[in-house]
Amino acid sequence: MGTFARFVVYMFIAICVIVMAIILGAYGSWYFAWLIGTVMMVLIAAAGAAMLDTQEEERRRSGGS
Amino acid sequence: MIDNTVVELSRWQFAATALYHFLFVPLTLGLSFLLAAMETVYVTTGRDIYRRMAQFWGKLFLINFALGVATGLTMEFQFGTNWSFYSSFVGDTFGAPLAIEGLMAFFMESTFVGLMVFGWERMSKAQHLIVTYLVALGSNLSAVWILVANGFMQDPQGARFNPLTMRMELTNFSDLIFNADAQSKFVHTSIAGYVTAAMFVGGISAFYMLKNRHMEIARRSFRMAALFGVLATAGVITLGDALGFIGGQAQPTKLAAMEALWKTEPAPVAFNVVAAPSQSERANLWQIQVPAGLSLLVTHSLDGTVPGADDLEKQAAERIRNGIPAVVALKRLAQDPSDAQAMAQFTAHEKDLGYGFLVQRYAPDQDASKSTPDAILQAARGTIPQVAPIFWSFRIMVGLGLLMLGYFILAVIYTLRNQVEHQRGFLRLALWSIPVPFIACEMGWLVAEIGRQPWTVYQVLPTWMSASTHSVAYMVFSLTGFVVLYSIFIAIEMYLMVRAVRAGPDADGPDAAGPQGEVAAVRAAPAPAGRLASRWEG
Repeated sequence: MGTFARFVVYMFIAICVIVMAIILGAYGSWYFAWLIGTVMMVLIAAAGAAMLDTQEEERRRSGGS
Repeated sequence: MIDNTVVELSRWQFAATALYHFLFVPLTLGLSFLLAAMETVYVTTGRDIYRRMAQFWGKLFLINFALGVATGLTMEFQFGTNWSFYSSFVGDTFGAPLAIEGLMAFFMESTFVGLMVFGWERMSKAQHLIVTYLVALGSNLSAVWILVANGFMQDPQGARFNPLTMRMELTNFSDLIFNADAQSKFVHTSIAGYVTAAMFVGGISAFYMLKNRHMEIARRSFRMAALFGVLATAGVITLGDALGFIGGQAQPTKLAAMEALWKTEPAPVAFNVVAAPSQSERANLWQIQVPAGLSLLVTHSLDGTVPGADDLEKQAAERIRNGIPAVVALKRLAQDPSDAQAMAQFTAHEKDLGYGFLVQRYAPDQDASKSTPDAILQAARGTIPQVAPIFWSFRIMVGLGLLMLGYFILAVIYTLRNQVEHQRGFLRLALWSIPVPFIACEMGWLVAEIGRQPWTVYQVLPTWMSASTHSVAYMVFSLTGFVVLYSIFIAIEMYLMVRAVRAGPDADGPDAAGPQGEVAAVRAAPAPAGRLASRWEG
């Protein structure tokens, strides 16, 4: 994906998030917090798996079993 | 005349079916997002092991999902069959979120589950990933609508009773959706599902590590579950506090029961860690307290106080006396809707109509206008729900939540050091802890729903008035049928789950044979993992 296309996609996501925060903020923010929190949990879990692959690679490079 | 036995049997039937159903729901809510996380790694790294992980856990998700849908279907019908007065009274308001939930669960979620399961070879990686995210979103959006409906029962917002149509009518849809109780309860429930899924995946991964089977998948699954679980547990606890704070203001009688607080005390109020509540004596037989704890927990202040059952009963008695004229006026309006005097009387006492309904249960001939002081006293006492089951369910839920937080912190430490497979004792603990979040979820549901009593819609419609007029024999027959049928469902779920777990990921796949097979599997994987395996073998 080109730089411009990425820019457009990310900008769209950012605007959606900001608009939702404004709308939900007037009533309470728990739905919004769920949305952000869930994305964060999924990404951190995924990053943890990628990190394990890296750790495995390091271990094998250093001659561990 | 309303038969108390029929009402009680209707309550038991709904409670039984809901408790069974709620054994399946949390796992669906959480596992769908864990599947999405696994598939995200597969799509971003291209490593085939993550595809196999997603497919294996997806198989367990499907078993759970199918039985969850089967047990959930009957609950929606029960509103019409067993709670017909409730349905007609609040159907205009309650029906909308329930209908949207049906659309979410049976159209969006079920459609995408089919694509997720059968679409691996028919869609591109990115398309399949989007489908998996939509399954997760659909599952959780259906929970949103159920909890919007439940939030209305706990703290009715966005609707008003119309004396001419004799039912609650929706006045503000956004008040209904953004009800503070619904918001906090949805997030609390959804994230409790994440915790459940994390314990489930972690426990089964621990089983494989103890057996030295499917190690590559087990270690990766455990890592992801541990990180997902620790964040989710922190979120559940945070939202539990928020829910307590919001619920404490909206439902003071539930809060008094949760904390076994019989008498209003000056601030700062002590927190009962454990106690032996006695409903008949309106006191705790014994208790162990933390000074000032309750003020801090519930009001987030040392100056805050919490109303006890004694004050709440006095307030209820006052509202009952004020609500009786509303019920009397309503009966006159039912006969003559143009009766201006009755309308004026109704309008003057409208806010306590629910309390007027409440006293009918204890009044002679179930007629509010004949209420005696004793009937008012009984009705006022009845506004405090059964304290002991709520008090202990709440403490079990909180205790298990804190234990799970400790478990996940330990799990994260072990897995980040990449040595969890050597912690045999901890792996056994992980395996045997699989039921813990399920128990905690059931306890949470008991607190929420027993704590709402004696109302189906808090301070608006008593449970006693809400049930249908079935015979006792009919209710006993259908209750027995549900318990037998749902017990069979649970047995089927357990059998299918255990069989799938024993077979393991890719029963015919390359890592089924143990560590040697796993090396072959990694070698067969796309470039980076294959190169690493070659180096490992020298």
